[in-house]
Amino acid sequence: MLHEKLRRIDETRIEVPVTYKKGMRVPGLIYVDSRLEQDLEIQAIDQVANVAALPGIVGASLAMPDIHTGYGFTIGGVAAFGLKDGVVSPGGVGYDINCGVRLLRTNLGKQDVTPKLRDLVALLYTDVPSGVGSKGRIRLNQDDERQILIKGAAWAVEHGLGEASDLQYTESGGCLDGADPSLISPKAYERGRAQQGTLGSGNHFLEIQYVDEIYDQKAADALGLFEGQVTVMIHTGSRGFGHQVCTDFLEVMERAAAKYHIDLLDRELASAPFNSPEAQDYLGAMRAAANYAWANRQCIMSWTKEAFMKVFGAGPSSLGMSLVYDVAHNIAKVEEHLVDGKKMRLIVHRKGATRAFPPGHIELPPAYRHLGQPVLIPGDMGRASYVLLGTEKAMQETFGSTCHGAGRVMSRHQAIRKAKGRAIWRELEDRGIIVRSAGRETLAEEMSEAYKDIASVVDIVHRAGISTKVARLRPMGVIKG
Amino acid sequence: MQPFEILDITGDAGIRAFGTDLEELFVNAAAGLYHLIAGSSPVRETRTVELTVTGSSLESLLVSWLNELVFQFDTYGFLGKGIVIREFPSLGAQEEGLRMRAEVRGEDFDQARHGRGLLVKAATYHRLKIEKTGGMYTAEIILDI
Repeated sequence: MLHEKLRRIDETRIEVPVTYKKGMRVPGLIYVDSRLEQDLEIQAIDQVANVAALPGIVGASLAMPDIHTGYGFTIGGVAAFGLKDGVVSPGGVGYDINCGVRLLRTNLGKQDVTPKLRDLVALLYTDVPSGVGSKGRIRLNQDDERQILIKGAAWAVEHGLGEASDLQYTESGGCLDGADPSLISPKAYERGRAQQGTLGSGNHFLEIQYVDEIYDQKAADALGLFEGQVTVMIHTGSRGFGHQVCTDFLEVMERAAAKYHIDLLDRELASAPFNSPEAQDYLGAMRAAANYAWANRQCIMSWTKEAFMKVFGAGPSSLGMSLVYDVAHNIAKVEEHLVDGKKMRLIVHRKGATRAFPPGHIELPPAYRHLGQPVLIPGDMGRASYVLLGTEKAMQETFGSTCHGAGRVMSRHQAIRKAKGRAIWRELEDRGIIVRSAGRETLAEEMSEAYKDIASVVDIVHRAGISTKVARLRPMGVIKG
Repeated sequence: MQPFEILDITGDAGIRAFGTDLEELFVNAAAGLYHLIAGSSPVRETRTVELTVTGSSLESLLVSWLNELVFQFDTYGFLGKGIVIREFPSLGAQEEGLRMRAEVRGEDFDQARHGRGLLVKAATYHRLKIEKTGGMYTAEIILDI
């Protein structure tokens, strides 16, 4: 039953009224239907309310259907603040700065890849460093690292990893302006030195997939997607570099919150006024970490292409391998939005939420401008991932944002307990999915049952109109950290 | 007394550490962190690192301490075991600028012996608490995985 203080607005939205909690400046808005409402945690609702109490918040404190309890902000949270009276909060971005997803298309069909799938997965597993303690294939000195922080994905392209055209199919061109390497601590430099070009562990993955269903033929055509086609999805972020930046700045922001007398309902909401030096410093460092992440996904994409070329003995153009798009789902950006009919520049925090800009938006590459922004939603390794498009409704309702994934329903321990005595890899193999992972526990923790059904999450954003379904992708081969 | 328990949390993991004094509490919290990373696989003591961390409160000192161990693991692959605290702020000390110094003995992470290892991103302030009941200190800390 719906919490007594909450109000259902329509079949996809619940309001958390300002009366829910003292101090709320705007209402909360949670995108769930009556089914996913059952999974709604009370702590997550509280967190939506806590964010609504931060100074300068505009519109509503938003949560997407993949909402679950995070630190300070929920996962699946979106919050926009005015530049004059609003705040910046590292908690609204999270530890994995610019965690995100990129999708590559090929001109291979499922039947072309299936006979070579095992070789391909094995090669990708060795060629793309993953797992704990893995060191990247790239050795960086501090100057190289600085260049990455300033240039983002373009750094990788300059070093022969990918093509210049990849950049226009990457959110923000794979580089945020205003990154300031001088704000990065020696520790963050040190932690990031050997991790560029690594996948990491946990829910990060590299997946060979095929398009198994198309919902919007015209859009699929424009994105170069067709039924039975093999695609590759890469899900990773800024690795230890970004974690260290977040760790460093949570301390700074905590002191700042006290200094600027910001009342926090939760310590992890530590924040500072947008115009304060502390907030500007955080943003300069966060942008550097975001750029590190875009370079990371660009490197991994390039090695993925090489692995395909080796296995199929063909060049990249004959395999038709190219970037569909790359999106960030943990980031804060200054964007222009309409608020009460007036254009306003806002600092939009997306934590486990994906930008979903509408057709015609200036930030979209010319080839997609008539369509809307591609939105890439990774699912768990056994079910599916989705391609959607951003919409005008998202622009009006959610500051151009939508969901980012499935969201866990089981803790890691619960999942391991549930998987006891089972060979998850074999269960997947019986369904035609080949997985490679550094550890058996990773597979147990990441099994499908540990996650919400991605289909129900995506259905809600589709029905709510904040993005629309284009295609579903099924996993064939999965590399997990 | 058991040194720590692992807390089960959707999405992440936590540690509840115990100690008869604060130093023991901090040592046991570190043991809990290493248990999360490498399970109960044996860790040799072949290398020593000296660490100094600071915090503005006891809670933030604990977060900094665990984050330093996370940093050592994620950056250098250092997995600790034996911990000797060399310097610890006395109770009732000015809460501005608390400082601790510790020696951690351990070895380089080896996947063959230590399992795949759980990659901890950071220790967080989320639901963080340090309490004293009777003669026993308890700390709860959530880690971002």
